[in-house]
Amino acid sequence: MNDLQPSHPVLSARGLCREFSLTEGRSLEVLRHLDLDIHEAEMVAIVGLSGVGKSTLLHCIGLLDTPSSGQLIYHKDGQTWRSPGLDEAQRCALRNQFIGFVFQFFHLLNDLDVLENVMLPAIVGTPKAEWKQRKHEVEARARSLLDTVGLSGREKQAPGTLSGGERQRVAIARALINNPRLLLCDEPTGNLDSNTSEKIHTLLRQLHEDFGTSILVVTHDPDLASRADRRLAMIDGRFESAADGTDR
Amino acid sequence: MQYQTFLSKRYLKRRWAPWAAALAVALGVFSLISVLAVMEGFKLEMKERIRGSLSHVVVKGSAMRMLVGEDPLLEAARETAGVEAASPFIETLAIYRSTVLDYCILRGIDPSSEPKVSDFGLYLLSDEEIDRLQADRFLMLPDDRPPPDPQRVSEMFSLERRRQMLRWRLRGDPSVGFDEQAPPQGLVVGIEALRSGRLALGDVVQLSSYSPVSYEPRIGQFIVVGAFQSGVYEQDQRWAYSDIRALQQILDLWDDEAQDMRITGISLRLSDYSQANQIREQVQQEIGRRMELDPTDGDAIPWRSMEIKTWEEQRENLLQAVEIEKRIIAAMMLLIVAFAAAMIFLILMLLVIEKNRDLGVLRALGATRSGVVILVLKQGMFLCITGAVFGLLGGWLLIENINQIHELLYLATGVRLFPPDIYYLEKIPAHLRWQDMVLVCAPTLIFGFLGSLLPALWAGRRDPIKALHHE
Ligand SMILES: Nc1ncnc2c1ncn2[C@@H]1O[C@H](COP(=O)(O)OP(=O)(O)OP(=O)(O)O)[C@@H](O)[C@H]1O
Ligand SMILES: [Mg+2]
Repeated sequence: MNDLQPSHPVLSARGLCREFSLTEGRSLEVLRHLDLDIHEAEMVAIVGLSGVGKSTLLHCIGLLDTPSSGQLIYHKDGQTWRSPGLDEAQRCALRNQFIGFVFQFFHLLNDLDVLENVMLPAIVGTPKAEWKQRKHEVEARARSLLDTVGLSGREKQAPGTLSGGERQRVAIARALINNPRLLLCDEPTGNLDSNTSEKIHTLLRQLHEDFGTSILVVTHDPDLASRADRRLAMIDGRFESAADGTDR
Repeated sequence: MQYQTFLSKRYLKRRWAPWAAALAVALGVFSLISVLAVMEGFKLEMKERIRGSLSHVVVKGSAMRMLVGEDPLLEAARETAGVEAASPFIETLAIYRSTVLDYCILRGIDPSSEPKVSDFGLYLLSDEEIDRLQADRFLMLPDDRPPPDPQRVSEMFSLERRRQMLRWRLRGDPSVGFDEQAPPQGLVVGIEALRSGRLALGDVVQLSSYSPVSYEPRIGQFIVVGAFQSGVYEQDQRWAYSDIRALQQILDLWDDEAQDMRITGISLRLSDYSQANQIREQVQQEIGRRMELDPTDGDAIPWRSMEIKTWEEQRENLLQAVEIEKRIIAAMMLLIVAFAAAMIFLILMLLVIEKNRDLGVLRALGATRSGVVILVLKQGMFLCITGAVFGLLGGWLLIENINQIHELLYLATGVRLFPPDIYYLEKIPAHLRWQDMVLVCAPTLIFGFLGSLLPALWAGRRDPIKALHHE
């Protein structure tokens, strides 16, 4: 990837703060005036000690949590969304269309089969009237994504019968079904052995290159961090140095 | 907005507990509907029978002064539009002695016009029917007997019939002490009086009452010439009919002031009962107008206080008792539905707890708060509606086949759930009204909605981050 090319940031965070109020009027400052830009087709890794606020940051960016102050700006095809300033419907639409989530614990729905799990974000995001005509297209895309993550032929399997690595692959395919701009991964291999982790890392990197999706990944795994375009170390609620270039 | 349907299907497909809640709703609706239908059928049957022995509308004087001016009264009534027929009657209490001492409500009727205002003619039994009814204690004559001969009532009270009965009686017991040339007055009693053995056909009974004119005790000799079955147990046991003229003589009802025989009142049959209130108003006006006239006028009716009541008003207490009974039972049975709704509530709560993580994932994937609320609500309402539909269907099937089912139960267990001697009914009456269906379904759906709403709102309020935190 060419770092020098001036591209639009897909996501900008400006002065992001997140405080949790504790008992007895005390409060815990987790994010402190944090700034972050993620450019188009960029893979950024965030590392840091446990409890430093990495997950909290991801939740704020993923619009599941609301920052105490600061601004989040999302860009897509010349369109801009600013938070705060979004209503519930817009936040949900952004979560659905703009962002893809990959969690440490996979979080597949056990009552659906693999294919349905992958299709779920599209099912959630499509209005009833359009579903009939979109259904085949979505299903085809889900099948091709499963193929990409190496799980073709497993469409009808129940998630409960998959191995951890396979589940995470399904989760990655699910995150990509709506072709999001930004993939947020919170310790995607935190629950997997090193061998399986390595395969997932390779897959993430490969998908990143194939689809050009920006990826923000939180990890404790040096291998995954080393594969990112940029590596940010989080200390005390902000990044150690705003533009810490990678060495590879 | 279709992912809710999609997910609900998947959730319900793999679990049986939610269906238990639907089943509970179905059972609740089923029992409510069946009970209400049977109660309604019972009420209608009661009403029909009570109505049969009463006329549509009754004009009645006070107990002591009664009414006078029978002819102009009848004329006034018959001239009113909407009145089809009118007939005079007398009503009094009488005591008689047979095997035991007993009392009866004695009604004096005009044999020629009474069949036109009430179903008395229909209820009057032939000798052969009396034999049959006495042989089978629970037998009830079918409703679809051939229409009665209008002459039957007159024949029953005729001299001929009285003589015939007396002759037959004298053959068995010459010591009765009546001459065939001057037989006692005819008396038609209810079938239950015969069945209980208090009276028998041909019995000569002495009825004692008081004259409302002289306040003196009066005694009359009667011979039992026939019997009737109205289907209302109390009436079939206590009511007795005689000829109005004979009764007027016996009770000494001559009114000196008006120079006329007194009557208790007149019975009216209307061409359209739904117009009863209007027609009653008109009859009242017409009679009132004639009561104001100069006594020498041929149309004049001597003034007496009177009241006009429909048959439903006359038997208000009895009818209301049945209606209130129905309401109380419905209210109690609504508890079953409430219980079913509580079950939906619990099961949805469990589902929300169990699927907490899924709901968090859905939120992360872009489902709105309200979307999650609808997801849970939809499942609850689906269960509730499914239960209600099956309950209604089951209730309908039961009601359609209730007598066959009852018969099967009887054959299988030997127990009659619905003994005919108590209710005096051959068949279990059942009548399904749409009002009752609404009465059952509306609270069911409301309870179901409330039972689903709380878990749904709760699901919407849950924090997705917490849900996603742990495996
Ligand atoms: N809802 C909350 N209320 C109070 N404190 C919270 C809440 N959520 C998070 N915290 C605190 O915020 C801090 C940051 O938590 P966070 O989960 O972001 O850490 P992390 O960097 O992701 O750690 P790890 O690497 O172990 O996942 C922690 O100290 C945590 O206790
Ligand atoms: Mg974390």
